[in-house]
Amino acid sequence: MFNTNRRNINFKIVARLLGILLMIESAFMGISLGICYIYGEYNEVPAFIYSILITLGFGAAMTFLTPHKDNNMGKREGILLTGLTWVVFSLFGSLPFIFGGTKMTLAAAFFETMSGFTTTGASVIENVESVSHGILMWRAITHLLGGMGIILFTLAVIPMLNKSSGIQLFNAEVTGITHDKLRPRISHTAKGLWMVYVALSGTLIILLWAGPMNLFDAICHSFSAISTGGFSTKNASIEAYNSDYVKIVITIFMYLSGINFALMFNAAMGNVKPLFKNDTVRWFTLICVIAFVLIATDLYIKGDYDDIPSLFIDTNFQILSAITTTGFTGSNYTEWQGLPIVVIMLIMIIGSCAGSTAGGMKVDRIILTVKNLHNELYKILHPNTIIPLRVNGKVMQTELISKTCAFMMIFFILILAGTTVLISFDISILDALFAVMSCAGNDGLGYGLTGSNFGTIPDPCKWVLSGVMLIGRLEIFTIIVIFTKAFWNKE
Amino acid sequence: MKIVIVGAGEVGTHLGKLLSAEGQDVYLIDPDAKKLQTVENYNLMTQVGNATSFKVLKEAQVNKADLFIAVTPFETRNIVSCSMAKNLGARKTVARIDNYEFLKEEYKPFFKSNGVDELIYPEYFASLEIVSALRNSWARNWFELYNGELLLIGVKLRENATIINMQLKDLAQSGRSFHVSAIRRKHETIIPRGDDHLEMGDIVYFTTKKEHISEIMEICGKHKQNIKKVLIMGGSRIGIQLAHHLGEGYKIKFIECDHKRCMKLAEQLPNDCSIIHGDARDIELLKEEGIQDYDAFIALTDSSETNILACLTAKEFHVGKTVAEVENIQFIAEAENLNIGTVINKKLLASSNIFQILLDFDESNAKCLALTDAEVAELVVKEGAKITKSPVKGLKLSEDMTIGGLIRDGKGILVTGDTQIKAGDHVLVFCLSGAIHQVEKMFK
Repeated sequence: MFNTNRRNINFKIVARLLGILLMIESAFMGISLGICYIYGEYNEVPAFIYSILITLGFGAAMTFLTPHKDNNMGKREGILLTGLTWVVFSLFGSLPFIFGGTKMTLAAAFFETMSGFTTTGASVIENVESVSHGILMWRAITHLLGGMGIILFTLAVIPMLNKSSGIQLFNAEVTGITHDKLRPRISHTAKGLWMVYVALSGTLIILLWAGPMNLFDAICHSFSAISTGGFSTKNASIEAYNSDYVKIVITIFMYLSGINFALMFNAAMGNVKPLFKNDTVRWFTLICVIAFVLIATDLYIKGDYDDIPSLFIDTNFQILSAITTTGFTGSNYTEWQGLPIVVIMLIMIIGSCAGSTAGGMKVDRIILTVKNLHNELYKILHPNTIIPLRVNGKVMQTELISKTCAFMMIFFILILAGTTVLISFDISILDALFAVMSCAGNDGLGYGLTGSNFGTIPDPCKWVLSGVMLIGRLEIFTIIVIFTKAFWNKE
Repeated sequence: MKIVIVGAGEVGTHLGKLLSAEGQDVYLIDPDAKKLQTVENYNLMTQVGNATSFKVLKEAQVNKADLFIAVTPFETRNIVSCSMAKNLGARKTVARIDNYEFLKEEYKPFFKSNGVDELIYPEYFASLEIVSALRNSWARNWFELYNGELLLIGVKLRENATIINMQLKDLAQSGRSFHVSAIRRKHETIIPRGDDHLEMGDIVYFTTKKEHISEIMEICGKHKQNIKKVLIMGGSRIGIQLAHHLGEGYKIKFIECDHKRCMKLAEQLPNDCSIIHGDARDIELLKEEGIQDYDAFIALTDSSETNILACLTAKEFHVGKTVAEVENIQFIAEAENLNIGTVINKKLLASSNIFQILLDFDESNAKCLALTDAEVAELVVKEGAKITKSPVKGLKLSEDMTIGGLIRDGKGILVTGDTQIKAGDHVLVFCLSGAIHQVEKMFK
């Protein structure tokens, strides 16, 4: 009845689940292996076979060699497993890049994979078009898995996690201030969210395939757009297609991917009203419009664009690519100066709605902080008033507000610390700041030094940026709390 | 099955956890977000809101609910909320009530017409259980199944029991007419096999029939005590119900420390009950009121700890039977190990009631009683089920279950190794918590 041997963290269950997850990862590598065969890239085959064998071997060893007497999982195990999953997945996921034709160093390969899983989309590959289809598919798959969340995927498929331990994992991985369940059972919630995700991806694949893209590119770009990742199969990203149709379609789908998936699920189930009445969606749209007005006006006055329709399409594409933290290039934004680039930087870290696949600080938190600030200022003049902070018509608890403020503070400290490290490696302040903001927000756009790719930055900076991406993706607390003393002390 | 529970109090959260573990889709509604936070890590949906608001009920999609359970502390709110839910399309509604009058047969059509299908009254069931504990004071637990056709009796073995250290297969050979279905030893429940033996201090659960009771009393070394004088600590709702149930022939004294409550008790209790204003934890007071002359001491305050300790004190004064209300489920095992006679828990009573209602829905998921870490299930055998394939001893039954008895054509039959189970039998199965799903498969 009373469990007495719970003094330490239950590493066995963490290792076992991690093993199962690794075996799932190796299965996904198998898809890339298949692609290699289809495109006749036999020189790439051994790389994937080695990667699969190593990943599967480790996974099987961890699953079957650890004794599974105690299946108890508490908060700590949940947080630790979530954090470790993302690191270990990236570590094993980088194997194809190391063995394959890309011949990367560990630092570069880890950066590339972490960038894939966290759906940052910052790449170190100089010439993407020379890379094999197998590797390109593997990059797209890292986006697909990471977009909705590696663990959320497993929650949908492993019935073993359909209990309180699964909910711990769900809370540690899913973004947002509070976590809404769709259905009473956690596996049903995960399945519902994945349904939305797969439906969006499928639709986009068909729409892109109908346009100028071939099926392979359509699949890769769809995975990339819906997960708000940003890896492309072309050096010039979406610009390469020089097609307004592609840009418009992707712009719309990026916008959809920036909306809370739970709202879209409910809308698909016939409950459409909340989608339009939701404060977060409204603010998200409003921020897009403001950003568009600022950038378009500035560019128009400077005379960079003389053609109004393409100004409209390109600017909108770039804004949604930044705010949903996708990071596709659909304009010549690297040549922008002054106001437009500042706006891009700002919306890049703001991000989209919580519960979407997008990164950044999330519009939900911005709303809370702005409204709180407004209330605080009002209270200076009327010290005795009690003003509730309402979001979506519901009064927010004080603890939630202070948690959000703490989040904002750590987020900015993270950016500051990251930038400092990059500057100390002789990267100019603006380029460093842009790169760190881009990684912290899981955006993936580059500017200046990182304008074309991230391969140019030194290896230590790649490790630092990989860490920043991970912390940004898991919304800070999940990772930071592992490094607190209280996490390891049970007293 | 979709189940909406309104009110995240003790009963509501306990039910929610239990039903979600059973694999049901559970929605829990309460106006207090803090209360809902405690069940955040369970497989159920929570919703903040008032139970008597159409908007909230619609948001919870009550129209698709198979079962709507209202267990807030306010009976009128529960009834109104059930009525609303029924109107919105819930299939079956259950309201927790607090008034014995409502249970009367003549008012049933009234509640039915208002959309309340079932009423549950945990305090009423608790008082019934205390009454049966007082009538059969030698037993720890006393359940009558199928209108008394089968009895399930839990008895604690003391040094004078003749069956201590006997192996169960020897017991069976001596041609006794009972079945040892479960043993509670220290913190765990054991489903016994033939080579298990009984130890002093075990609580043994016998399945038997009415005519064999005296035999069990004899082998356990128990004697019938005649209980006439009852001391009740704490004037709770259970206490008031109990006083009404016991009726004449019993001398009942209440001790209550809250003066306002005492005044209320005076209004609500039958005339022949006496009420003392004072703290029953005060030994001087207990002596003054002559505790040593009482046959039974029943502790029903809101605090489980106080109840347990007060019962132990009463035992010191050689009170024959003590009953404690223990609302904290974790404490039940502890309380059973300490020498407290019978433990009452409203949550377990309410949940076994709800299970009974679930049983009416779906016969295969039949459950009637929930012990602390074991379940007693009543399962109906389907045509062609695995369990009908051979006599009981030939079935390779799981270690976690045993068959106590069965009802065939309305008659109770005890099960031995040679019994052949037939389709249509109601079988009484004991199993450890969590094993019920495996057990169920055998009956389909």
